[in-house]
Amino acid sequence: MEVKFLEKPYQTEQVEKLLHPLVKEWFFSKYRSFSEPQLYGVKEIHERNNILISAPTGGTKTLTAFLSIINELVGLSLKNKLEDKVYAIYISPLKALNNDIAINLEEPLKEIKELAKLKGLDINIRIGVRTGDTTPNEKQKMLKKVPHILITTPESLAIMLMSYKFYELLKGVEWCIIDEIHALAENKRGVHLNLLMEHLNYISPNLCRIGLSATVEPIEEIAKYLVGPERDCKIANVHFSKKFDLKVISPLPDLIDITFEDYHKALYNMLDNLIQEHKTTLIFTNTRAGTERVVHHLKTLFPSRYIENIGAHHGSLSKKHRLDIENKLKEGKLKCVVCSTSLELGIDIGYIDLVLCLGSPKSVARFLQRVGRSGHALHETVKGRIVVTDRDDLVECSVLLKNAIDKKIDKIHIPVNALDVLAQVIHSMAIINIWNVDELYKLLRKSYCYKDLTEEDFFEIIKYLAGEYVELEERYIYGKIWYDKESREIGKKGKMSRVINMTNVGTIPDETNVKVKIGDKVIGTIDEAFLERLDKGDIFVIGGDTYEYLHSRGMSVQVRSASGRSPTIPSWFSEMLPLSFDLALEIQRFRRLIEEYFESKNSKKDILKFINHHLYVDENAANAIYKYFKEQYLYSLIPNDKKIIVEYYTDEKDKTYVIFHTLFGRRVNDVLSRAVAYVLGKIHKRDLEIGISDNGFYVASTKNLQAVRAFSQLDPSELKSLMEDAIEKTEILKRRFRHCATRALMILKEYKGVRKHVGRQQVSSMILLNAVKRIDNDFSILKEARREVLDDLMDLNNAKKILEDIKWGKIKIKETNTSIPSPFAFGLISDGYMDIMRMEDRMDFINRMHQMILAKIGKENEIEDIR
Amino acid sequence: MKLFKDIEIIDLALKYKDNLIIGDLQLGYEEYLHNKGLLIPKFQLNDILERLGRIFSRVKVKRVIINGDLKHEFGTINKQEWNDVLKLFDYLFTKVEEIIIIKGNHDVILAPILKQRNLKLVNYFEDDDVTIIHGDKIVVNLNKIIIIAHEHPAISFSEKPADKFKCFLVGKFQRKNLIVIPSFSNLTVGTDVRHGNFLSPYINKIDNFNCYIVDDKGNARDFGKIKELPL
Repeated sequence: MEVKFLEKPYQTEQVEKLLHPLVKEWFFSKYRSFSEPQLYGVKEIHERNNILISAPTGGTKTLTAFLSIINELVGLSLKNKLEDKVYAIYISPLKALNNDIAINLEEPLKEIKELAKLKGLDINIRIGVRTGDTTPNEKQKMLKKVPHILITTPESLAIMLMSYKFYELLKGVEWCIIDEIHALAENKRGVHLNLLMEHLNYISPNLCRIGLSATVEPIEEIAKYLVGPERDCKIANVHFSKKFDLKVISPLPDLIDITFEDYHKALYNMLDNLIQEHKTTLIFTNTRAGTERVVHHLKTLFPSRYIENIGAHHGSLSKKHRLDIENKLKEGKLKCVVCSTSLELGIDIGYIDLVLCLGSPKSVARFLQRVGRSGHALHETVKGRIVVTDRDDLVECSVLLKNAIDKKIDKIHIPVNALDVLAQVIHSMAIINIWNVDELYKLLRKSYCYKDLTEEDFFEIIKYLAGEYVELEERYIYGKIWYDKESREIGKKGKMSRVINMTNVGTIPDETNVKVKIGDKVIGTIDEAFLERLDKGDIFVIGGDTYEYLHSRGMSVQVRSASGRSPTIPSWFSEMLPLSFDLALEIQRFRRLIEEYFESKNSKKDILKFINHHLYVDENAANAIYKYFKEQYLYSLIPNDKKIIVEYYTDEKDKTYVIFHTLFGRRVNDVLSRAVAYVLGKIHKRDLEIGISDNGFYVASTKNLQAVRAFSQLDPSELKSLMEDAIEKTEILKRRFRHCATRALMILKEYKGVRKHVGRQQVSSMILLNAVKRIDNDFSILKEARREVLDDLMDLNNAKKILEDIKWGKIKIKETNTSIPSPFAFGLISDGYMDIMRMEDRMDFINRMHQMILAKIGKENEIEDIR
Repeated sequence: MKLFKDIEIIDLALKYKDNLIIGDLQLGYEEYLHNKGLLIPKFQLNDILERLGRIFSRVKVKRVIINGDLKHEFGTINKQEWNDVLKLFDYLFTKVEEIIIIKGNHDVILAPILKQRNLKLVNYFEDDDVTIIHGDKIVVNLNKIIIIAHEHPAISFSEKPADKFKCFLVGKFQRKNLIVIPSFSNLTVGTDVRHGNFLSPYINKIDNFNCYIVDDKGNARDFGKIKELPL
């Protein structure tokens, strides 16, 4: 039960002597020396020790994991001792793994085989790939000629663990590699896999677990996630000798009092220059809409330079389009690829020598992951730039950059005790075996995600699966398993059980996408939420081109080309990434440092010097940050990690905004703002407006609001139950309940060969939600939906910590009245107008406010000092 | 809540003289959903019986008129429907002397069950000034007051938390008085009438219709004209 960091790599000789002469010969014919991950990992894996290998992207992790295994299998094969069984399973979150596997597994095996042939030897190691795309024919072949190394996804592993024939093959697996484990651990797919691993381990007791991860924190937690609370694990935390060249850049020297036209022009000129100076540039825009916009503008502003050599890549584009872009990228045919977040993970994307982030990547880990996509060869420089859009963005990104360079990486959140996933997995286990419930409980608790699973929750799920939520005479329909309380055993029920679980397996909810078509030709897809906002004649952007909306029928939208016309509707909505909590605290700390500098009357020169050094930013940026903070300081107060500022501001229409400067990230602010609004809503039933961002939130009303009293009276120990009430009737709970109910197989996405539309699923879920509430307001699946909303989507825990800090006086609340919003509030207030304002107007609004601020503070101070 | 002479709203039902009118029970809907892969527990019959109990404690009538769509499935009778419909009849006969079943669009196959209790299916029911008809088809020679179901009227308000309420509608059809009754089933609330697109050919524009919202306790309240309702 120990997680231990490996202090130093093994010596080359130590690793070398483990290798079979043939493998050794092959290796050194190809590589000069072992890479660092290989020096750390190969020996440990050879000795069957569980290990987590964490190294930046673009390393040799995958081959590290496979080298020991190949070595072993080559040895067995030459001795003719290779059995017809699966020795190793490789699990990756992505289906499109062919590329990586080709390089790290197929090629080495092919070359070793050829090398053996030259010596008159024969090696026959088989590889099999089983994903959702594998045909029945291929599966049959696999059963006849068992692959020694099996490549798969979490969902396909789940299916194999339910199929009698494959189940037999999976008894006695010796290694299991989980690739991109950090990406899996963050969501319910990872929770699912975590339980599947225990099932696999149960039938393969000598399983050695190997996790491959990018640089994330807390690395020990990921290691524990890999092995659970009862097994040992080694950690190889490899920092690369890769050189980093990371910078925050701005199109203009300052980001205030500039016109949209100027910014726009400067931004695209800068992008164009950067792209032209490099061979291939990868741009991240955070949103799909942003991706479309950037491609559109680059094409229209520089028509001669960007035609066939630029591509858009995001989740809403058709699979064919995305593959096309990926292939072109690999072939080096593209000068520039613009994506939302879709190229952050996985597949080898070819040669990239510059990564640009437009706007904040919102977390240090994410930024490092993105820039890791550049500098293909091992020792090449990683080159990344963050292009900032406004002053808040500048501060945020500068702090982010500092943390990235200092290797202070934000912690990821691993969901635990998800009851919907638990239900699905227990059901799948009952399909293949009869289990004693007490032993099953113990077995499941060996996984990290369920190590604290309570007996109560466990039996709630057993009862749910056994259909005990309905009358006895109905249970034959509702029961998915039988549960014998005498023998304390559970087992499968019904002929359809296996088919139902297999066709509904997994944790990824169906997305509400609507097809966009011209006639019968599919252009791409958009969300339902976006569709609702479209009116006849609206022009929107998809795939970098503009289209006019005509009408919609069922799940498809008819459009016609509107080439050359500008879009009438922007397509941003809730896909914005939330700021990580750790990074938020770092920004707050920086705010406090600057405030202290102001307080102790340091000279402008000294402060500039401090900013310059502390944040690794250039002079322009330091100057802009200085001005921004100075204005806030002179006009109002600087909120920071120990001081929440609450600002009252009344606009021209007599609407009073109560602005909470709580820079804790959107996930925490979602909780805090809803809690305040819920308490206030009990007093003022109507006319309550809420706005939230990463930097704070506001409540606004034409009536007098006791918002601060409501906020300071929030009791941390009652926050959870308060929030459960607050989200009770929200759209978000209804949607998440649908996701949970489908995972728990209460709503079947596919039944009797018919696939249910998302719309239909949602209607079903509404009926179900009402019914379930009447059985028990704490019905396990409903409880899980609430947990998912509060813990995974929002951040109840950290919100609670903030309230505790307030309660114990560690964080003070200070109130202030302003006739114009303070500079730190501009972004937040204008965010609230986002729906009705265009980007241009937003900038005008901020500029106008800024001029008013300058006029005010200028009277009291030397305005030259600030400007 | 009195609507016209001899006509008043009692919970989700309408009392007309010695008759109690209810519509759109959609019995067996759970099993139908079940066959579509939705594991919804069965509540509907108990709910309906409970509500009827509440109603019979308030009023005494001789006759119950079911204004169409007694059960859900169109072309078949599922197991739950056999069970639930008969249970409902047996309960009703402990309270009233007569049950009249008006044909609804879902009631394609109903005769086999009705035969079990010697009941007949009628296309509509007339008495004095009143015509009671399901509402999916227009017939001629209507009386001065028409009572239909079929539409499942409900109203939702945009104020958060957005809730939807079942309601009665009272307006005009060809210069005659039209009353639309809500569905008696609690599985679904109904269709928001302010979204337009009506199922029933009796309803076209409802701006000038009056609406009466029924709360959870079964009390109806006059909310006035649709066009004057808050959003």
